[in-house]
Amino acid sequence: MNYLILNGNPSGGKGNIDRYIESLADKMRSAGHNTEVIVLRNLKIRPCIGCFNCWVKTPGTCSIRDNAAEVSRKYIAADHVIIASPLIMGFLSSLMKNTMDRNLPLVHPHLEEIDGEVHHKKRYDKYPIISFLLEKEACTDEDDIAIASDIFRREAINVRASLGFIHFTETPVQEVLHAIDVH
Amino acid sequence: MQLTFINGSPRGKKSNTARLMGHFLRGFMETPGNTSEIDYLTKHRQDINLLTETFAMAENVIIGFPLYVDAMPGSVKEFLEALAPLAGKKDNPALGFMIQCGFPETSHNRYVARYCEKFTQRMGCLSLGSILKGGCEGLDVQPDFLTDKYYAFFYMLGVEFGKTGKFDPAMLEKLARPEHLNAGNMTQIIPFINQALWDVQMENNGVLDKSFDKPLNP
Repeated sequence: MNYLILNGNPSGGKGNIDRYIESLADKMRSAGHNTEVIVLRNLKIRPCIGCFNCWVKTPGTCSIRDNAAEVSRKYIAADHVIIASPLIMGFLSSLMKNTMDRNLPLVHPHLEEIDGEVHHKKRYDKYPIISFLLEKEACTDEDDIAIASDIFRREAINVRASLGFIHFTETPVQEVLHAIDVH
Repeated sequence: MQLTFINGSPRGKKSNTARLMGHFLRGFMETPGNTSEIDYLTKHRQDINLLTETFAMAENVIIGFPLYVDAMPGSVKEFLEALAPLAGKKDNPALGFMIQCGFPETSHNRYVARYCEKFTQRMGCLSLGSILKGGCEGLDVQPDFLTDKYYAFFYMLGVEFGKTGKFDPAMLEKLARPEHLNAGNMTQIIPFINQALWDVQMENNGVLDKSFDKPLNP
């Protein structure tokens, strides 16, 4: 199993999530899991501009030349991707959201029915499991968690992944490690 | 009444968001004395403070965006984060959203609409609610009988908003149709979109045979 952790914390040194990710990755490696961590703030990832070139001009390849393609390549090669981000104003950091938007080339423009709804067809044969590791804000309440979690469930369907777990940095690392093992 | 429309589409002036909201604003301006302005996120990404100031000065703000991976585009999230220092300010504008998606059903937009409602609370803004619409990809290639209907709804919503300061719930509900597709619709609409919207573009670009390429395979 290949694991990829995307660290979407925009500001290093702020909060606990960087340290949490390091500790989790260490323990995963000790447990024999092949684990790579990408710190997104160190890369250049511009926002998707909605040009659809990745669908209709150069199928599967984004036209924007920056580091996003490298992330997409590692994402699609992984068995399980952990999307790690602080909640900022109740949702994933814009750094993380921009990165996820840039994965558009990984799916196909054609639509198909999945459980009574229209979604995009797969481009690749295999997609990773995606899980979410989040750091709460001081103001995070049950509503925020429910709203964000519902969106994550939808995102998993849309990027043709299965959803692994949704955990917070207040969960002991050991427990997240266990969740990784069962998925 | 004053209204600022902030167009959060990465496609800016040429966006489906701009087309639809153009009709809303035309309706809004039918009430004498109303004033409106349009600003584009694409113009201000490098200096987002100009846009947060525009937000702070407005009486009513509508933020419009296309659905990207079940939520707001990352660039719109950057703007929402930039608004954080204004949370709870007394003079914040009333805030509403317009969310459109390419999927034929409006139901996809409901999840991020809940986020937008919570965001509005977080900012301490009076909530105007959200205008939600599915089926908005390729408005320029959709048949006129469909787009004319959408545009008429947006115009009427704008007229109503211009008079009352509220989105008319019955109109919102009608605009949102189809909320879901039934099995019959699905078997008709899916092949039509796949062919008329996507294959045609690939064919014009000479890449239809590469449609399912997997360039990132190891």
